[in-house]
Amino acid sequence: MVKSIYAYLIVGLILLGIYILYTGSVSMMELILGAIVGFSVAYIFTDEWIKKPSKLNLRRLSILIAYALKYFTVIEAKAHWSVVKAILSPKPSLKPAIVRVPYRVSDEYAIVTIANSITNTPGTVVVDVSEDKKALFVHWLFAEVTEDEEARKHISAEFESWAKLIFEG
Amino acid sequence: MIDQILFWFGVALLFMGGVLDVIASVGMNRFRNFYLRLHAATIGSIGGGVYPLVGVAILVLGLDVPSTFKYYITGSALISALIVVLTSPAGSHILAKAAHKSREVLPKPAIVDRLKEKEVNEE
Repeated sequence: MVKSIYAYLIVGLILLGIYILYTGSVSMMELILGAIVGFSVAYIFTDEWIKKPSKLNLRRLSILIAYALKYFTVIEAKAHWSVVKAILSPKPSLKPAIVRVPYRVSDEYAIVTIANSITNTPGTVVVDVSEDKKALFVHWLFAEVTEDEEARKHISAEFESWAKLIFEG
Repeated sequence: MIDQILFWFGVALLFMGGVLDVIASVGMNRFRNFYLRLHAATIGSIGGGVYPLVGVAILVLGLDVPSTFKYYITGSALISALIVVLTSPAGSHILAKAAHKSREVLPKPAIVDRLKEKEVNEE
């Protein structure tokens, strides 16, 4: 039996919503099929996915949406522009390095969010994560600084503050 | 009016994605190292994969087709974009990790390599 009915309902409704969005129609047939599949999958996986159901609220969801909007317009555009410039310039000034970037979050979703955000911006790729030392190893194309804290300020400080707001606290 | 705006906005996103794909493939050839090429591949998957998919989703909304097709294409394009966003970093992450761990390609040139320092310390 699932531990929290609330988390179970939320996960099931999200899966049903994804199914309805994917099929693009709200006929009775699709609703019933989506509800059957969505709520059975939610029954199996809710306890695995949601450890603290009290964290599921609208405030965190709205911060997540705000972060997604900012990430896919401003941050991605800046990162793309710098790498496109490096590709097209006749003599690119590259300073590749693998730097250590410490993080100060403990939630697994927050770590994954930070790592995915770093990798999805061109110019930085996460190579390895050391969970006991709480650091990500990042291959950086334009390494202006190589000290841990300075690199963190350049690469992941913004992602980390958003991830903290969304998944922690 | 609103149809026109949606259509041309979608076309603009699609066009931008195509240009970024070409630039990413130029970068694949110009960068002479595995790790540098990973960055060009990121441009190909995000700028050349996610944005055109969102563009298709918006473009179709402005077309004059039956609404069943419209919402079906929009929905599946948006879900595909979401899946690419969530899974493509896992791919490049594991490629980089495997390449570094097996020492098949060395990250040269590199100013510092903290990961190698850590491995050397542990040995």
